[in-house]
Amino acid sequence: MADYLLIQALNGLTIGIIYAVIAAGLTVIFSILRIVNFAHGEFYMMGGYFGYFAISLFSIPPLLAILVAMLASFALSVLVERTLLTPLYSPATERKGDYGILVTFGISIFLRNIALIVFGPYPLRPPSFFSGALIAGPLIMTWDRVFAGGAGIAMLIALVWFMNNTPWGEALNAVSQSRESAAIVGIDDQRFYMLAFGLGGALAGGAGALVGPIYSLSPSMGLIPDTQAFAIVILGGMGSVGGSILAGLLIGISESMFVALFPDPSRSLTYAQAFSLVILMIVLLIRPTGLFGRAHASME
Amino acid sequence: MRALSWCGGLALAAAVLAFPFMVNAYWLSVGVLAMFYAIATASWALLAGYAGQFSFGHMAFVSLGAYTSGLLVKWLGIPVPLGMAAGVVMCAVVGSGVGFVGLRMRGPYLALFTVAFSEVLRIVFVSEVEITGGSGGLEVAPLFHTRSDMPYYYLGVVLLAASLAAMLALVASRWGLFFRAIRENEDAAAAAGVPVMRFRVLAFAIASAFTGLGGGYFGHYIGILTPDIGSVDQMGLVVAMAVIGGAESIIAAAIGALGLEFLVEALRSYGQWRLVLFGALLLLTVRFARNGLLALAWQQVRRIGRALRTGQAAREAAE
Repeated sequence: MADYLLIQALNGLTIGIIYAVIAAGLTVIFSILRIVNFAHGEFYMMGGYFGYFAISLFSIPPLLAILVAMLASFALSVLVERTLLTPLYSPATERKGDYGILVTFGISIFLRNIALIVFGPYPLRPPSFFSGALIAGPLIMTWDRVFAGGAGIAMLIALVWFMNNTPWGEALNAVSQSRESAAIVGIDDQRFYMLAFGLGGALAGGAGALVGPIYSLSPSMGLIPDTQAFAIVILGGMGSVGGSILAGLLIGISESMFVALFPDPSRSLTYAQAFSLVILMIVLLIRPTGLFGRAHASME
Repeated sequence: MRALSWCGGLALAAAVLAFPFMVNAYWLSVGVLAMFYAIATASWALLAGYAGQFSFGHMAFVSLGAYTSGLLVKWLGIPVPLGMAAGVVMCAVVGSGVGFVGLRMRGPYLALFTVAFSEVLRIVFVSEVEITGGSGGLEVAPLFHTRSDMPYYYLGVVLLAASLAAMLALVASRWGLFFRAIRENEDAAAAAGVPVMRFRVLAFAIASAFTGLGGGYFGHYIGILTPDIGSVDQMGLVVAMAVIGGAESIIAAAIGALGLEFLVEALRSYGQWRLVLFGALLLLTVRFARNGLLALAWQQVRRIGRALRTGQAAREAAE
């Protein structure tokens, strides 16, 4: 039993890292564009399929396919941002918050349904990155999971480095703190809205490509990680990347513990899906600003 | 202009009443479903478009109303109309509960909270197989023991008309003014003396009660009730209906629902592509015509009407 719990905890750790990557993308979008992206789970789903088709149609090696998936998700996000989100920055738009909710909700419906047609309703499974499993004493973990966890950490480190050490990252930070002040010091905010939404989409897409070989791909795969990512972002504090990473690990591990310890195994799988939703509701109720909320990253 | 809208209204009413005599059984059942969607969509427009509270958990109240009524009729053997009334009360109570706990949240946070609530409820209905029948569905007693859908259709027309009349009376009253004030700016409304908390909860309770009515009607018509009616995809359909028609007007939203439901069925041969089309239509409407396509069309009609009148006036002056 103890071994089982430990394996579950390790599985939860890797999936928590993946959640943190999705949530970090959501955070970047939120802190710059000041919208909650309801279509984020669908970018995660699209990333998974981009990776799959990069391998199966163009026979790109699986590791390279992750990068291709991220680039394709970046391009898709920028396209979406340029065509649909520009009214968010125009003073002529009334009630921008409502616009952001409706338009991203619409994007999620659109992408999910188009995926259903183009990719089909049947689950697809891309080939493994590394076959086999890591066996250390009683612990067994597939190399795919180990790799997904490692690659997820690498993505998060790269994001934090990018945000803190590059001129673009600093400009993003400036726009997130004050659009007006950023404009005064000569930052073209339009470019950075584009960059932020693209970056967020690329992170979600990369996470989707990483989990492809672990779970299968399906058009509705974005629904659950989407709510998990929301719970993480709110728990971690809107706009705080470090908080998101910690909250991602917390939720990933506690979710797999919930599945492992739920008394009625016939219901544990369906109720596991409800777990993160209930967490999200509780977090929204008791701590709407999260554990590490930054004061300036609030909604308009 | 007034005469034109009266004529349009009368023509619409006549078409709605004569509809069952002009179509076959299949399209009649589409008509019944259209009435259900119109009630659900209009009540969502009341809550989101009018009171400015974006709830993505609206369809959860459809299943709550339907399951409450279906289960009460099954267990207690009470008459179906009583069960439907119980469903309405249930939805009003739970709706005010959700509205109350949602008081701390605004905008997207409330949308997230309600979508989570809705999915949790759906998962409970799927999982508690002994009570609800799970995904296999719950057998619900029919409301009318006839082979034709005719009585359902006319009941739907009556329920829709009554709901619309009640909602319109509501938004024309002082309460409607409070709802709009809260939508535009909550702090300003509070400063002007609007009891914001009470009216936010009220908006939720009232909209949920109407949805519950629609849910009971749907459940007792459809016969086999599944948790799918409360899914996010159904919510997406209703949001699309409301926004394409015009979410800030209850009538426009209801017309949007009727129109889209018939379009869904008319395009059945295109299968899944229909939903892509509606997604695209939803996005285009939000992006370019935020007040909905009906408001856009109405504007054009008025512009043409004005042009005709000025043309006539100019001719008269010339003579």
